Amino acid sequence: MSERLDEAAVGRLAPGLALALPRGPHRGRVGEVRAASTGSSLELHDFRAYQPGDDLRQLDWNAVARTDELILRVRQDEVSPRVEVVLDGSRSMALSPRKAACARELALLACEVGARQGLSPTLLATGVRSERVQGSACRAALRTLEFDAGDDLVTALGRLPPPRACGLRVVVSDFLFEADLAAMVARLSRGASGFFLVQVLDAEDLSPSGGEGARLVDSESGAALEELLTEDVLAAYARRFEEHQRLLRAAALRSRGALLTAPATESLDALVRGALRPLFVAGGHA
Amino acid sequence: MSFGFPWGLLTLGALVPLVAAYFLRRRQKPVVVSALFLWRTPRPRAEAGPRWERFTREASLLLEALAVIAAALYLADVRLGETARTKHLVLVVDGSLSMSSRGPDGVTVLEQARREAAKRVEDEGATRVTVLATGLAPRVVAGPEAEPSRALAALESFEARGADHDPMPTLLWAQELAGTGKHVAFFTDVAPVEGLVIPSPVRWTALGTARDNVALISAQRRDEGGTATVTLRVARFGPGPESVAVRLRALPGPDAKQGTERVEKVSLQEEGSATLRLTFQNAGDIEVSLPDDALPEDGHARLAVSPTRPLAVSLAQGMGSLERDALERFLGASPEVARDGASGDVLLIGPRGTDAKVTVGASGKSRTFVGPFFSEKGHPLLDDVQLAGVRWSAGENPPGRPLVTAGDAVLVSEEDDGRVHLNVDLSRSNVQRVSAWPVLLGNVVREARRAREGFVRRQLTLGEPLQLVTLPGKRYTLVGPGGSKPVFGAGAVSLSPPAAPGRYVLERDDSDAVDSAEVLALDARESDLRGRASADVPAKDSGEDEARANASDRARWPLVLLLLALVGDFYVTRRAS
Repeated sequence: MSERLDEAAVGRLAPGLALALPRGPHRGRVGEVRAASTGSSLELHDFRAYQPGDDLRQLDWNAVARTDELILRVRQDEVSPRVEVVLDGSRSMALSPRKAACARELALLACEVGARQGLSPTLLATGVRSERVQGSACRAALRTLEFDAGDDLVTALGRLPPPRACGLRVVVSDFLFEADLAAMVARLSRGASGFFLVQVLDAEDLSPSGGEGARLVDSESGAALEELLTEDVLAAYARRFEEHQRLLRAAALRSRGALLTAPATESLDALVRGALRPLFVAGGHA
Repeated sequence: MSFGFPWGLLTLGALVPLVAAYFLRRRQKPVVVSALFLWRTPRPRAEAGPRWERFTREASLLLEALAVIAAALYLADVRLGETARTKHLVLVVDGSLSMSSRGPDGVTVLEQARREAAKRVEDEGATRVTVLATGLAPRVVAGPEAEPSRALAALESFEARGADHDPMPTLLWAQELAGTGKHVAFFTDVAPVEGLVIPSPVRWTALGTARDNVALISAQRRDEGGTATVTLRVARFGPGPESVAVRLRALPGPDAKQGTERVEKVSLQEEGSATLRLTFQNAGDIEVSLPDDALPEDGHARLAVSPTRPLAVSLAQGMGSLERDALERFLGASPEVARDGASGDVLLIGPRGTDAKVTVGASGKSRTFVGPFFSEKGHPLLDDVQLAGVRWSAGENPPGRPLVTAGDAVLVSEEDDGRVHLNVDLSRSNVQRVSAWPVLLGNVVREARRAREGFVRRQLTLGEPLQLVTLPGKRYTLVGPGGSKPVFGAGAVSLSPPAAPGRYVLERDDSDAVDSAEVLALDARESDLRGRASADVPAKDSGEDEARANASDRARWPLVLLLLALVGDFYVTRRAS
């Protein structure tokens, strides 16, 4: 496991993967994905009677011959949908180097795979200086990204421009903050046809080690709490964590999205084949 | 705030390791976590804000420090405000005249007692001092629980001029004032006699010295007309001078231009006394003095003018010749009796059936008795009246309470208003020719004299009660050297012996002064200085009692504070874990 951004691993995995786009029509630039609007693509969508002003080139002359009526072919546009990758830039994402690296790698993989699919990837990073980069600039942005925000994702979203419609939105965060989770998830899913919450968690997030007293310091606010990390205390943490996960998962489902939890301790390959399989499907343009 | 055991404050040193442990605990390993809220119990009132902030570790430190401070205060025996640690010392000073005697160095015993008292206050570190003076009636000189400086100042102005008395009531009172386990210091000039039971907390300090002394033990003055008769009695205690010069200085009286001064040499046997009688004409106050010796106070007396107050007696009209003759014979020989025309109170004697104060005579059928006569025992009118051999003829019974009876006949009776009836027919009796007659009439005159307003005696020595007569319905005040005080009671009143010598004036509310009496600083028992000695008898109680008493007085509130701090700390740390 690398503790830095392993671009090589991303490069190895990206060609064989594709982002799981939703089946519904999309909107976007002209591309290869069927759009929600009528257009001039080759794929037939419907037939209807000719009306004055219609493009005569779309008349189905065979149908006219058979029915002696002016039948017009209705075709859909083919568009290239956008994919947005939102990366939480708060300090908790850098709880450990591996957690930070895993978050960067997953964001880069989503961008790379989306780019290979022709989905115009956009990276939104919510650090102290919020960044919005597109295309090939995403890689460079991820290399220099600092997880330095002292607030949580909900607050940081206020520094970003309003969400735009997109085909797929992937939010990479640990989602470990006190907030109205349902409202937050609803806001994140607004305008997105597909929506994934990729939760990157460190080993200490999942199963904190105990056995001694410790001064617990919040990575973002700096607030401290002294605790003896006894079994009871750890069990209480586990209960609260499970409850938090349950609420987050329910919020994601209500917004027609999915919560994918990615333990940072696992390798990128293992994550793609395991926990992140609903997002990264096999069958890319290798 | 004061501390009974300041070494207990060393407990505050426990604060150092406590604070050190606190900061060591603060330096335990910091662990950065992604979400602190998952480690805490959710706060349901977060939106409205908590009313009470949760206790933190700092609260635990403060409570533990408070517990240490409370323990230190308890061990140091802290006292606050009124309960601040006080050491109460009760001093008792002998108030008798002999304390004014001088030692060979010329210092009075009382002055030595003052010095010793000041030293005792300083040695014992007393913060509150009560000074009592013994006497026929114990009294407070300073206090109770006065500032030491004030108490010693009051002792400085105290004069010991009291009569001989028993100090035990004062010592018992001092024991009560001091409280359990506290010592009482008693300063006197005589060592305790063998077998005397001294209260256990009393330390008896005798500072006297055996001395020879010549003293006046009595002095009387009697003024009749313009002649003042002074009777002195001089006593010699111990092998002192065999003769002494008595100086008498008479101040000029109202009708004299200048006074006179006489010196009489009096020979004295060892442990003997001599009586001296002198007369002065038109003399005012007469000052009597002996040469200064160990106790100068008992060699000086000032005798004020003490005119006799003759009782005016009047015989009413209608009295028989026998009765009148018998009464005239008595009144002619009776001293201090004035006949008709004298001013002042009048004793009216009349025949039977009148409203005179005393009636003499019989009415109705007479009966003669030779006995037995029954007299009311103890009645002042019948003092020394012997009726043996008397033939008493009496008529009808007079009104009033019978005093003398013979059979069913009432010979002498007294009514509630004081009227006396002598039921006697002198023509058939021999009462007027036996000694019972002048004795009986003498008692009548004496009682009439006693009923007059004012002092019964005008010259008294130390320790004698003040006897006086007041009229019903009037308010009186007795003004003396110690101030004034109201006199309660009507008729014959006996007041306790004055605490100090001097002139005492009886004042009535509707007049300036009714009468005056002089209390002379004379007491033969106090003038006898041969038995005075020095001694120091320690108190029987040990200091352990005092220590135990002090321990039981230790303040309890620091313990309560300690308990509350520990419970609070337990609660705080329990919540934190």
